Amino acid sequence: MRARVFVTLKPSVFDPQGKTVTDALHTLGFAAVRDVRQGKYFELDVDARSPDDARRLASEAADKLLSNPVIESYRIEIVDEVTA
Amino acid sequence: MKFAVVVFPGSNCDHDAHYAATHVLGQQAEYVWHKDTSLGNADAVILPGGFAHGDYLRTGAIARFSPVMTAVRKFADAGGPVLGICNGFQVLLEAGMLPGAMLRNRSVKFQCEHVLIKTEQTDTPFTLACRPGQVLRIPIAHGEGNYYAEPDVVARLDKNRQVVFRYTNADGVETEDANPNGSVSNIAGLCNERRNVVGLMPHPERACELALGSSDGRVLFDSVVRAVTQGAFAAAR
Repeated sequence: MRARVFVTLKPSVFDPQGKTVTDALHTLGFAAVRDVRQGKYFELDVDARSPDDARRLASEAADKLLSNPVIESYRIEIVDEVTA
Repeated sequence: MKFAVVVFPGSNCDHDAHYAATHVLGQQAEYVWHKDTSLGNADAVILPGGFAHGDYLRTGAIARFSPVMTAVRKFADAGGPVLGICNGFQVLLEAGMLPGAMLRNRSVKFQCEHVLIKTEQTDTPFTLACRPGQVLRIPIAHGEGNYYAEPDVVARLDKNRQVVFRYTNADGVETEDANPNGSVSNIAGLCNERRNVVGLMPHPERACELALGSSDGRVLFDSVVRAVTQGAFAAAR
C-alpha cells in the first residue's frame, strides 16, 4: 500500500522559497499566480493490512519525523493498489 | 575543565570548537561520536556547526534521533551546560530542548558574514562573563537561520528572559538592517527556562582569536570555564 504525505508550512508561517518562486513566475509573465506555497511530498511504500492501518502508520511517521509541528502541518492520502 | 564536542556525520565545526577549547582556552576537550551513548566525564557539551546527516529533510531533524542525544538530554536535565552553535542550535530546536524552529533565510541565500549581536542575558553559563548589553562581532554562516516561533511563544521567551542574543547595530539597537536572516524579534540566540542550555546561530568558535578577524566569541567559552571551575553559574542565579 502507498501512503502519500504532503507537508506544508502553516498558513501563519512566512515561506521565503514560495515567495521567490512567486516572484520568478511573475517575471515569466504568470501574472495570474497570486501566491505560491512550497512544501514537501513523501511517498511511503508500507506493509499494512488496511488503509486505516497505513494511515495510522504514515501519521505516526509524519508526527515523529516527516514534519515539524512548530512550523508545518501535513495531509495524508492512502492509495490501495488492489483497487487503484 | 573538560568539554565534550559532539560529532555528527556532517558536522564541520567540531574541530574549530575543539581548537577553541584546547588551544585558545587551554582546557581539555574530547570528541564524542553521535552513536556514543556516554559523554564521559564532560563538564560542558558543545553541539557544533555543520550539516548533520546532510541536513536532509530539515536541519537537525535526523540528528535529534542520534543515540548521543539521549545522553545530551540527560546531561541538560541534570543542569549541565550545553551550547548549540548554528547547526547545533538547529538540532536543539528539533529535539525540543529549545522552543521554536528555523526557516530558510529571508534572502533565500546561504549567508556567510560578520554580524553584530547584543548580549541580552548574562545569567547563563555561556554569557556570565559578558557585560550586560555587550555587543559582539561574530560571523554567521547559514542558509536556515530565520528563527520562527508563534507570537505567544515569543512573548513567553521575552517574559522569561530567554532571548540571550539579538541581532543589532553597533549601538545595540535592533533594526531591520541588522537582522541578517529575518528572524522574529531579531532573535540570534536563546536559552531554556533553566538557562543551562543555550543555542545561537553565530559562530563564537570562529571568533576566538584576532587573527580570525574578531576575538569577541571567546567570552562565551571564558564564561562556561568560569561557570564550571568557579561554580559561578549557580552563584549568578
